[in-house]
Amino acid sequence: MIYFIIRRLIMTVFLLLLVSMITFAIFFLVPRLAGQTAYQLAAQYVGRNPIPSEIKAVEIKLGLNAPLYLQYGRYVKGIVVGIHYNNGTDVSYCPFPCFGYSFRNDQPVWPQLISDAPVTLSIAVGAAVLWLLGGVSIGVLSALRRGSFFDRLSMGIALAGVSLPVFFTGLIALELFSYKWSIFPNVHYVGITSNPLLWARNLVLPWITLAFLYAALYARLTRAGMLETMGEDYIRTARAKGLAERKVVIKHGLRAALTPIVTIFGLDLGLLLGGAILTETTYSFPGLGQFTILAIQNQDLPEIMGVVMIASFFIVIANMVVDILYAVVDPRVRF
Amino acid sequence: MKRRSIFAATATAAAAALLISACSSSSGSSGSSTTTPTSTTGTAAFNAGITSVVNPSTHKGGTLTYEVRGTPDSFDPGNTYYAWVLDFDHLYTMPLFGYKSCPGSCGLQLVPDLATNMGTTSANGLTYTVQIQPDVKFENGTVVTSQDVKYAIERTYDRSVLANGPTYYQALLTDPTYPGPYKDRAKNLMGLTAIDTPNATTLVFHLQAPFPDLPYVLAFPNTAPVLPSADTGSNYQLHPLSTGPYMFKSYTLNKQLILVPNPNWNASTDPNAEQLASEIVVNLNINQADLDNNLIAGNADIDAYGAGVGPAAQARILSTPSLKADADNPINGFARFVYLDTKVAPLTNLHCREAIEYAANKTTMQTAWGGPVAGGAIASTIMPPVIVGYKSFDYYNALSQPNGDLSAAKAQLAACGQPNGFTTAMAYRSDNPQETAEATALQASLAAVGIKLTLKGFPSGPYYTNFAGDPAYMSSHNIGLAGGGWGADWPDGYGFLDELLNGNAIAPTGNTNISMENDPVINNLFTKSSTLSGAARTAVWAQIDEQAMKDAVILPAVYQKTLLYRNPATTNVYVQTYYGMYNYAVMGVNS
Repeated sequence: MIYFIIRRLIMTVFLLLLVSMITFAIFFLVPRLAGQTAYQLAAQYVGRNPIPSEIKAVEIKLGLNAPLYLQYGRYVKGIVVGIHYNNGTDVSYCPFPCFGYSFRNDQPVWPQLISDAPVTLSIAVGAAVLWLLGGVSIGVLSALRRGSFFDRLSMGIALAGVSLPVFFTGLIALELFSYKWSIFPNVHYVGITSNPLLWARNLVLPWITLAFLYAALYARLTRAGMLETMGEDYIRTARAKGLAERKVVIKHGLRAALTPIVTIFGLDLGLLLGGAILTETTYSFPGLGQFTILAIQNQDLPEIMGVVMIASFFIVIANMVVDILYAVVDPRVRF
Repeated sequence: MKRRSIFAATATAAAAALLISACSSSSGSSGSSTTTPTSTTGTAAFNAGITSVVNPSTHKGGTLTYEVRGTPDSFDPGNTYYAWVLDFDHLYTMPLFGYKSCPGSCGLQLVPDLATNMGTTSANGLTYTVQIQPDVKFENGTVVTSQDVKYAIERTYDRSVLANGPTYYQALLTDPTYPGPYKDRAKNLMGLTAIDTPNATTLVFHLQAPFPDLPYVLAFPNTAPVLPSADTGSNYQLHPLSTGPYMFKSYTLNKQLILVPNPNWNASTDPNAEQLASEIVVNLNINQADLDNNLIAGNADIDAYGAGVGPAAQARILSTPSLKADADNPINGFARFVYLDTKVAPLTNLHCREAIEYAANKTTMQTAWGGPVAGGAIASTIMPPVIVGYKSFDYYNALSQPNGDLSAAKAQLAACGQPNGFTTAMAYRSDNPQETAEATALQASLAAVGIKLTLKGFPSGPYYTNFAGDPAYMSSHNIGLAGGGWGADWPDGYGFLDELLNGNAIAPTGNTNISMENDPVINNLFTKSSTLSGAARTAVWAQIDEQAMKDAVILPAVYQKTLLYRNPATTNVYVQTYYGMYNYAVMGVNS
């Protein structure tokens, strides 16, 4: 197991390096191949009506005048050992892992990512717990009561959950539970360290909104998996041996049905940790999702690259955890 | 004058709030609205905040909460051009000049802020001298000197550090190639030769040419003093050293700013600001629908962005009398119109252009921009009513026959030798839904008199550099019309009209005089204006506006309006006409 983890961590580093190369190429190499010059790129970040000397100064400041391989090398070096940058009056040091320097905000990217990550983490983890518990439970019960009213109702709701976008359910939830009935008034993000109770209270609606979408999907997947598993020969054998139905369902049925669920859960959670864009936008929570939107609107290339790297990191790590969990869920898997 | 065409003319509806704009005291949707005298106080009612102070109070304390749908370009007073930030900056800065804090047309009046007077200009117009107050302090207790003001201006020269602000100094003052203090450390940070500081309270500006509007330029917050030893370059945005009533307590970039009272602020030195709330919170990057709901629910006090509520809230506010009483619908100083290119046949003929002026259905164009509330009032002039020098006139019956005067249009077509109409094209920004709708509406109304309009959509980004602003492109592609909009950097006729109508403004690329107007009468009026002052100078702007409309070089569409909502808990609320949004420097809250 230890060797597996070490091996995967080393692979993670190479994978992230590859992602950084591809991202860098998309934003810096491809436009250049299409004819964009460093001067034209710099002109986007000089404000209004710049004269050529001002654009040139920005080109030099942002390091866009250097060859691309050098720019990329500098970027990677910044991530590994940090980098110095000029703020006008002074030379500041952006320590490891410095993900570049924002073209728009004139600030290092990494501290911004770090300050946004707890918001996204709060939304994603809380919602994940809800949707996993809710989705799997409903899926199991639906499978066990196939064709019943509960099955039809829960699958109907699940269909609605999968179909309705977050920006719709989120706005409805806000309108009803926050503005109309004031059950969760004035929903806004509060840090867990400043007020844990308010943190949890204000996150309830985003959690439910996000969990509604995912729980629906997980309920349908679990139901399908359980129906398939419960028809297997070994389930009949377990029952024939006189095992309690609860043990048959949980230990033999659910455990086998969980393998694909765990795979998808890892991917979903990893993706969400890179930014729950719609949920954060709907509730105006300042997480990585909002950061991404703002970076794209501002065409702030280093910020976009930073968020891509963070999202990739979370996805890779989540996948590694999923692989480890396989061994727990499925005894046949050995590392 | 430094060209600022791209800033103003490429603004989309969302970016309209980037512009310095003003508003009118008009309460109707008619284009003939004019500024009206100001009353001092008023109770909450629809549009009460345009002409009066709503909820006047001296109550101190409470937390005033602003929310903003976007983020600032920068809170560094030397690095901003966003209208809401220019307004908001007065809470922590004291520029040389400012606009008098009062509702209605009174708010267009330029008054000394850090300065003690409006300054004096030398006989040849090339030297401008102004004194500053001797007893204004930074938040750390240091007394402000004229050198701090000079340094504040100097730092705006280095656009590799401060990229966002206006760039007038390089164009107006001598020593245009000064590199800025960050590359000038050896000269004790005072290397700009265009500004002298003979003593601690005097500034002497040296101009390349006479420029009567210089005080307007010095009203930008980039003249607010910056203590050289406290300047942290690009990090200064995180904590500018305050000279205003409030100072930064904390700022999380693009998320939340918290201001607290500045203990070293003296109210007697800053009559245009107040220190009422005990804390000011600014929540940034808030979803507009969420923001509007927060305002209506009382969770937030004011939308600081100032571009108005979203469509859902707009419908709710207008249909609920109690909410409507807490709303204002000012004209904000931004105009929407269509350029008629005088160099593209057959629009080289005045009568052909006049046919378009008459035939255009202004009501459908207004609808395209969002209707009378969110879009604007039908316009019959180039200058909006909130610009100093505005005069109401209606040469093409835009107000009397807003659906188009087809008989007059046909008469003009006959006069231009095209009795059955003609074919031309119109450029517009295809990624701007309202401008697209305007083009479609105009195409339909011109078709009624036989003018066939081919629509050519372009992306906003290069619109003014490569397409509408490129005279050669317009001519070679037979594009006679181009959609556009304009907001002035300061509210007088020069600020609004010069780039649009002065023959000197015609440029081979990035052209803002897209109509290619080069009328000697107008050019002479601009030249004459630099030798005049006061009412005589103000009168020139209406003459230019009238002459341009007689030349039919611009088809006015709307004077843009916004629907603003004020939480009833807020005090001292009114629209500062110059900004077209509430005056953030004087507001308080009943906690």
